[in-house]
Amino acid sequence: MDTSTNPLASSLGERIRDLSATHPVAIRRITSLAPVWTLLAMFIFFGLASPNFLTVRNLENILRQMSVLAVFATGMTFVLLLGEIDLSIAAVAGVSAMISATLFTKSGAAEPIPLLAALAAAILAGFISGFFSARFRIPTFMTTLAMQLIAGGMTTYLSKGRVITQITDVSEFLGSGRIGGPNGFPVIVVVAATSLLVGHLVLRYTRFGRYIYMTGASKPAARLAGVNTNRILLMVLTICGFTAGLAGVVGMGRLHSALPDAIPSYLMDTIGAVVLGGTSLMGGRGGIPQTLVGLLIYITLRNGLDNIPTIDIYLRDFITGWVLLVALVINTVFAGRTERDKTI
Amino acid sequence: MDNTPILELKNISMRFRSVQALKDVDFDLREGEVHALVGENGAGKSTMMRILAGIYNDYEGTYIFGGKPVRFRNPHDALEQGIGMIHQELSVIPSLTVAENLYLGRQPLTRWGMVDWRKMRQNAEKELEHLGFNLDVQRNLEQYPLGTQQVVEVLRAIVSGAHVLIMDEPTSALSPAEVEELLALVDRLREQKRSIIYISHFLEEVLHVADRITILRNGEKIATLTREEASMNTLISLILGREVDYTPRGHHEIRSDTHKLLEVKGLTADVFQNIDFDIGEGEIVGLYGAIGAGHFDLARALFGLYTFDSGTIAVDGQVFPPKHSARYAIDHGLSYATESRRKSLLMDHAIYRNVTMPHLKHIGRYIPTQDQELAIATPVIQKVNVVPPDPMNPVGKLSGGNQQKVAIARWLTFPPKVFITSEPTRGMDVGAKNEVLNILRQFRNDGFGVLVVSSEPETVLAIADRVLVMSRGQIVARMVNENLDKDALMRLI
Repeated sequence: MDTSTNPLASSLGERIRDLSATHPVAIRRITSLAPVWTLLAMFIFFGLASPNFLTVRNLENILRQMSVLAVFATGMTFVLLLGEIDLSIAAVAGVSAMISATLFTKSGAAEPIPLLAALAAAILAGFISGFFSARFRIPTFMTTLAMQLIAGGMTTYLSKGRVITQITDVSEFLGSGRIGGPNGFPVIVVVAATSLLVGHLVLRYTRFGRYIYMTGASKPAARLAGVNTNRILLMVLTICGFTAGLAGVVGMGRLHSALPDAIPSYLMDTIGAVVLGGTSLMGGRGGIPQTLVGLLIYITLRNGLDNIPTIDIYLRDFITGWVLLVALVINTVFAGRTERDKTI
Repeated sequence: MDNTPILELKNISMRFRSVQALKDVDFDLREGEVHALVGENGAGKSTMMRILAGIYNDYEGTYIFGGKPVRFRNPHDALEQGIGMIHQELSVIPSLTVAENLYLGRQPLTRWGMVDWRKMRQNAEKELEHLGFNLDVQRNLEQYPLGTQQVVEVLRAIVSGAHVLIMDEPTSALSPAEVEELLALVDRLREQKRSIIYISHFLEEVLHVADRITILRNGEKIATLTREEASMNTLISLILGREVDYTPRGHHEIRSDTHKLLEVKGLTADVFQNIDFDIGEGEIVGLYGAIGAGHFDLARALFGLYTFDSGTIAVDGQVFPPKHSARYAIDHGLSYATESRRKSLLMDHAIYRNVTMPHLKHIGRYIPTQDQELAIATPVIQKVNVVPPDPMNPVGKLSGGNQQKVAIARWLTFPPKVFITSEPTRGMDVGAKNEVLNILRQFRNDGFGVLVVSSEPETVLAIADRVLVMSRGQIVARMVNENLDKDALMRLI
């Protein structure tokens, strides 16, 4: 069908697709970077609207606010690329922090025992979800929902509802430490960057990473090529458990305390940021660079609105929601990702 | 029998873009008649039946129903008038009860708008008794065998008020006993003065059940015969036509003492039983069967993607463990290209990535680099002559024939011992077909074993050295491909 002769008959998405077909390289490069343009537009807007936004101090703030989410998002990117979901990350992070804090305060265990125990618990949680999903073909939506309750319940049991404010030096360092004196570079940003970088290298350059993309794009195709898709699922959920645990420990260091409840917004913020960047919920498309951009947009939006004093504080979530929706539309339409409806 | 037709098609034509699916076809159906429709794949049976059932309504010509010209807007419209269609795939819901399935979408309601379960049950019992069936309407349908589920599907159409039933290959997935059950139902419906259009590949079945038989070929109606006029021979010659059946034969010597590369013994699963065969070095074996015969699932079972219950598979003397994985099969010299290119290729990914997919383990130590992958993929992409040959193109942009070449090329990089391919040439034009067949011949000449699984007799006859015919889960014939023709194959299924 030649849509160029009848522009009215085609949707905006199709026209952009046609455009990228006729001017392949240049246009496609510009449109596929739509999330980056969105981010730039936000920076320009907030920079003009608020005198405090484009200060070194605030930019560092953005990075620090982003860091815990970035660790979560690394694992979540793996899971979403596979076309699966992990609903337990916030709860797993909570239990990891609580295990570390409990071991430190009640049993007097010295590092690295609290840290290792916290991470081991998180890895185990991911492994259990993955095992039951792979072995019994239970959707990850359900196994990780169960794990959310298990991990959350464990946190409640350990904490008895009390906040623990004594945490290990290692957690403190990871979450709030600075390299090079009191005004040095925040360690938490280094942790987040390392997590994203390692995730990127694994996804982009290893056989395992390729198997994840293959399985996410088409499970039958991966199986026909001899990929053990069950093992991939198990490994990916285990990795996501690990990053959730790490995020839990780092988040505890940032807040200087282990909380008796998971922070539920972590889960939705993570999924939101990853998908906003361009990683498909259906699997097979996206990656860590996309996740990084998604995180930046997400946090910039929140931080930027905080920096405009004229905005009613009670309207902030309302506005955030609308801007998010607009950003999503822009990212989907301009990246040519609107899907042709093929169902009968 | 009353000879006035209750349904008539006059000069019906239908095209899809460049393909003329039906040309000036006439057809009529009488009350209390079973009228069978036969022809090769692509002869126009499905198109005609979809017109009858109201699925297609942009045809040319006249459709007369109940004495008046009609043009149904959709299948629902047709069903309102009493024309019901039974699809090849079951559309009953196994997890619901028999009664619920019979009244799917038209449950009786109480005056409060709730489902009237009592009435539904009673109505279902009454209807079944009236039709002469003894089923527990409160049991879940999945507790009954497949044949009964198929029967319930037919009964549902009747309970919905259908007087004309269109049945599309209703027996293709059934066991012989279940076929008997279904044919008995057809007989009973005929006694009740209902009319049935019966489409089937199984000519014996057709000769047994039909009052009249209409033969289609290339979108044209060839003849309508009464049961008395028809015989296996006349049907086959009319279906195939008098055209010279030219099938290029591979002039290939078969040695009886060749080394066996693949040996299958007593392989049994739900859809096939006691399969024994072998493939020797430098041999192409064709496995032919009608759709639903179980041959495609057999191919998957060999490759470790369809669980089988008993039997053994051995490649080059090495017996596979039970429940072997596809990885194990690949590592031990089997390869498999499925009948669905869509399923085996990643359409958005570059050609070279699709080629290296199964072999990443052997490329690079831990990290396959793009250069290494290209070095391996490019020669085979050129060897099978993918057009355009740029390995960076996404596979989805290629034509069907070229996609198939990619699906085959991936197994040339690290050659297997036995290559299994299902429907290697489906939906291709003649040129692409020949290219793909030549690639398979090359495999054979290089000393590999090849298994070609197909429901297209032309493909099997064009390429195979030996032919196995499968019907309803069993191998029913084994022949050397000498002087075989379609005729011979069609008699056997």
